Amino acid sequence: MGLGGKKGTVTPHERSPSPRPKRRLKPTQKKQVKRKKRRKDLEELKKEVVLDDHKLTLEQLSAKYSVDLTKGHTPERARELLIQNGPNMLTPPPSTPKWVKFCKQLFGGFSLLLWTGSILCFVAYGIQVYFKEESSKDNLYLGIVLAIVVFITGCFSYYQEAKSSKIMESFKNMVPQKAMVIRGGEKMQIHVEDVVLGDLVEVKGGDRIPADLRLISAQGCKVDNSSLTGESEPQSRSPDFTHENPLETRNICFFSTNCVEGTARGIVIATGDSTVMGRIASLTSGLAVGQTPIAAEIEHFIHLITMVAVFLGVTFFGLSLILGYSWLEAVIFLIGIIVANVPEGLLATVTVCLTLTAKRMARKNCLVKNLEAVETLGSTSTICSDKTGTLTQNRMTVAHLWFDRTVYAADTSEDQIGKTFAKGSDSWFILARIAGLCNRADFKADQEDIPIAKRSTTGDASESALLKFIEQTHSSVKEMREKSPKVAEIPFNSTNKYQVSIHLREDSSQTHVLMMKGAPERILEFCSTFLLNGQEYPMDNDMREAFQNAYLELGSLGERVLGFCFLNLPSTYSKGFPFNTDEINFPMDNLCFVGLISMIDPPRAAVPDAVSKCRSAGIKVIMVTGDHPITAKAIAKGVGIISEGHETAEDVAARLNIPVKQVDPRDVKAIVVHGSELKDMSSEQLDHILQNHAEIVFARTSPQQKLIIVEGCQRLGAIVAVTGDGVNDSPALKKADIGIAMGITGSDVSKQAADMILLDDNFASIVTGVEEGRLIFDNLKKSIAYTLTSNIPEITPFLLFIILGIPLPLGTVTILCIDLGTDMVPAISLAYESAESDIMKRLPRNPKTENLVNKRLIGMAYGQIGMIQALAGFFTYFVILAENGFKPFDLLGIRLEWEDRYLNDMEDSYGQQWTYEQRKVVEFTCHTAFFASIVVVQWADLIICKTRRNSVFQQGMKNKVLIFGLLEETFLAALLSYTPGMDLALRMYPLKITWWLCAVPYSILIFVYDEIRKLLIRQRPGCWLERETYY
Amino acid sequence: MTKKEKKSFNQSLAEWKRFIYNPTSGEFLGRTAKSWGLILLFYLVFYVFLAALFTFTMWVMLQTLNDEVPKYRDQIPSPGLTVYPKPLSALEYTFSASDPESYREYVEDLKSFLKPYTLEEQKNLTDCHVGGVLFEQNGPTYTACQFPVSLLEACSGLNDPSFGYAQGNPCILVKMNRIIGLKPQGTPRIECIPKEENVAAISTYPNNGTIDLKYFPYYGKKLHVGYLQPLVAAQVIFPANSTKQEVTVECKIDGSPNLKSQDDRDKFLGRVAFKVTAHA
Repeated sequence: MGLGGKKGTVTPHERSPSPRPKRRLKPTQKKQVKRKKRRKDLEELKKEVVLDDHKLTLEQLSAKYSVDLTKGHTPERARELLIQNGPNMLTPPPSTPKWVKFCKQLFGGFSLLLWTGSILCFVAYGIQVYFKEESSKDNLYLGIVLAIVVFITGCFSYYQEAKSSKIMESFKNMVPQKAMVIRGGEKMQIHVEDVVLGDLVEVKGGDRIPADLRLISAQGCKVDNSSLTGESEPQSRSPDFTHENPLETRNICFFSTNCVEGTARGIVIATGDSTVMGRIASLTSGLAVGQTPIAAEIEHFIHLITMVAVFLGVTFFGLSLILGYSWLEAVIFLIGIIVANVPEGLLATVTVCLTLTAKRMARKNCLVKNLEAVETLGSTSTICSDKTGTLTQNRMTVAHLWFDRTVYAADTSEDQIGKTFAKGSDSWFILARIAGLCNRADFKADQEDIPIAKRSTTGDASESALLKFIEQTHSSVKEMREKSPKVAEIPFNSTNKYQVSIHLREDSSQTHVLMMKGAPERILEFCSTFLLNGQEYPMDNDMREAFQNAYLELGSLGERVLGFCFLNLPSTYSKGFPFNTDEINFPMDNLCFVGLISMIDPPRAAVPDAVSKCRSAGIKVIMVTGDHPITAKAIAKGVGIISEGHETAEDVAARLNIPVKQVDPRDVKAIVVHGSELKDMSSEQLDHILQNHAEIVFARTSPQQKLIIVEGCQRLGAIVAVTGDGVNDSPALKKADIGIAMGITGSDVSKQAADMILLDDNFASIVTGVEEGRLIFDNLKKSIAYTLTSNIPEITPFLLFIILGIPLPLGTVTILCIDLGTDMVPAISLAYESAESDIMKRLPRNPKTENLVNKRLIGMAYGQIGMIQALAGFFTYFVILAENGFKPFDLLGIRLEWEDRYLNDMEDSYGQQWTYEQRKVVEFTCHTAFFASIVVVQWADLIICKTRRNSVFQQGMKNKVLIFGLLEETFLAALLSYTPGMDLALRMYPLKITWWLCAVPYSILIFVYDEIRKLLIRQRPGCWLERETYY
Repeated sequence: MTKKEKKSFNQSLAEWKRFIYNPTSGEFLGRTAKSWGLILLFYLVFYVFLAALFTFTMWVMLQTLNDEVPKYRDQIPSPGLTVYPKPLSALEYTFSASDPESYREYVEDLKSFLKPYTLEEQKNLTDCHVGGVLFEQNGPTYTACQFPVSLLEACSGLNDPSFGYAQGNPCILVKMNRIIGLKPQGTPRIECIPKEENVAAISTYPNNGTIDLKYFPYYGKKLHVGYLQPLVAAQVIFPANSTKQEVTVECKIDGSPNLKSQDDRDKFLGRVAFKVTAHA
């Protein structure tokens, strides 16, 4: 919705004659057509708003809506229209039913892998049952356990999301809104939902506008459009048609904006979803949301792991056929190997890690609605931030004062601890009195306990700013007003551009003082003298020039400047004089000029720091605002989005005194793009701007344009975060990879569309979010590396069982004990690991090349550490069998005899004879010992996984959860081995102490190997080892 | 854009081809020849090292082992019982007395099992006259006692080469597993009882199913060369007029407190049950 009046986007014949929603279709139309239509509608919604009611005269308006402009609709007609058009409310976004959400948790992403594994297990079991009468139930149990794991994890993450959506619901304002309508000539209060097209509506200060209104009369009406356009200043409203663009014209008020002051009467021209606000809301809910980066990473991971599993499975399928196994056995082996590759515990680990981070973020005021979004901030490479309310406080505040020919800066920080200025000057005393007295704003009652800056006020934003400023820096305005009561007043209007009030003087002289404030150039016209250090001097050119300079300087800071002057009325106008403000009967010239006060919606204190942190973290911060370019640029400079010393093309041109076109584009790092320019840009041009400028501000942008900007960034491969609080931000919030809404000031629509909510509305919390997101990405890598490693010692026993025909070294139960038991807490504990280096000093990860799980990680986990672990397990296995009488070489090819239930005198290497059950006990003892060995080597693995580059000695062992994890897994392993009855329950047997020690040398080897590897990587950055093994 | 664009089949096929061999960069399966060489060399060195280490630890472990006696014998404290002939499936003997072919395999199995027990084979063994006491030896050479097959009387195969099968009274040999150092207490004997009463009678040889203690302890394959473990034969005698020629027999060790014959899980620990079905 740029400044330009012409809308080239929609051809005239497409314009609907009435604002009836175009989306509504006759039910007879076919579904397919509907769907096509929907897509077209979405495209249409992306285009600008088309409205022509503001151009109509009152008569035309009356005719169009067939309504009497004084009496309104008859109640009957209103009822008809209500039935015809439906209630005046926004259709809530199609909320996904709970069971669908639950199913998404159950069958999304990672769960799918486990389900596949589970189903394969059942298939294998089915084959076994079908072809052999008796078979081990291992596959059946494994299938069931897998299903249970997915189910429980699904429930857990569903519960987590449900919890955060509950917090969301608590935001919703449940108070039913009322509207004042005139029907059949009578005023009546009705529910906002019952307002119909053409209704005659009355609004007053403090009301929410019940529908899109075309004003027919107004008295000092001002509306706050910030939630729609992002403009921080209230706009005055009158029945006059002032602008082609419906969003700019004065005679239209928009649904769900607020009337700040005054009263107005208007005709409803659109209700519900067809309002401007409704269109944005429908645009938002119609947008398709892309995959989160972490979901993409998990998909990539699944691809990798599936490839490895299938490769192993098929290879050994072939091998087992060559070795003479039957087809059936080979198929069972194939399934067994594929399933063995499934990391059963990883889904739970990842979910818990993300939940932990989400909780940690919530403690730091970032509420994450969707678990997967936890990491997204960490991958973010571009932040498109709204200005009002996000970067700024959304509260006009006095920023500068100019008196005694000097510019003073006022404290704009939220908590008012800062610099002060020359309060000693007499000019300041007078300026403060004018600002306090010639001011219609007032504090609302019962707010004594609240800090002044946070109190709510009546009246317009700049007057409130002055009121608070005087209350804070000077004295109680209330007392001031009591001492010098107001006797007459000319309120501000847009033609005068000034405001006058006459007060009784504070001293006992019984005379009056006239005070005036307004647009500086207007004020100066009234003045013939000026005040300098409390003394009046006649106005001279020198002073005029100083005034001009000051005015320009403050104006260029994007601040709204007001001038102040006064006149001590002569004694002829003493107490009791009947001042007439309509026909002025008192002098109003030759006033004395006092000074200027400028106001701005100041940046939040923490924002500049946060922006610079984002920048050093390689994140581009783009400001996208509906506000004016000058204000936007000033704030952008104030918070560092345009950093110091960087100039826009216009700045360079002004400095060098050359036309803008001659500016060397290479000198220009910063750019301020106006919405109207953006409108005419092709996507290539937009890409060009986004690519070639480091510092970008988009001003006067419409919601649709915000969306286009986000899409542009995404097209360039960026992962985009959007922050915003208004309805106008919500399409962009939804489209962004991560939308961040404001918890306090944010509108419901924006919160609905967002993935994350800043509970304290503080942009700085985003930095925390980025940090946490990056940390969890690193830590998830470590966690996955840790978990995957133990996969190799879990698979190889089965492979060697097939190939070498040895008794099975590790069984299904023990594998599950590792994956779902001992490995769990240590893997989760890695989520608590602190960062290795300053993660905020590096660039955002490149989603194309830096994957969560890559070949190098798989290589490390499977090819190197996993192999050492497997050897440790096999060593323990051979030790136990050898010490019990079965020497290693006698084991080869023993499988069939070993598994023969009716062979009960199997001879060992010493000539002893074993029953089936006796040797099975030895086998299960081996399983237990193999399991214990994995625990022992996983100690070392956990310690090496703490870091990817640094030595453990640099990183330290400060992670208490990790230490707990080490103890816990050991304790759990001992418990599983030594608890009486475990032999019956899980077939795990007590181990001799020496059997625990078999794996220790391998554990040490893992540690030493990896320390050496990391040492080499640190010493020779970019070396071959780093390229091949640094994950 | 995070949204995935659908790739056409041809595109993905071309991508796969490029992955398998990329002519521009000379990459085969995503790596150049040099890169493949390096990574394979790395893993070769790594695995050779690991293999060496594993071999070394295994060697150390084997050094700690004793060649004569396993380090631990606590996994087999008590012997299991096994029967011969070895039935093909489960523990069921089905034969027909009138059809030699139906029990030929059983007889052959028994014959081959009893081969070491023939006089010819036993002539190098000691004839331990003293019975009823443990025959403990201190080495360095260990002698094994003879077990004359004639002790099995009717089941020795000396008089009846069909081991009773031809008469419909089959012989089943019951054997106690060898365990190094096992010293049975008391007077161990094997007791065989038919589960169903009045279906068949069981005769055990040697008389009463006694296992002589002079065959214990066993000193292991290496030291105790030629060791023969004592056997007990159980002959199932079906009554001549019996209609139901089917019986389940349970044999278990009796008379020795340290030899277990009851275990929930291990159905062969100190006991064995088998089913004999004789057709006419």
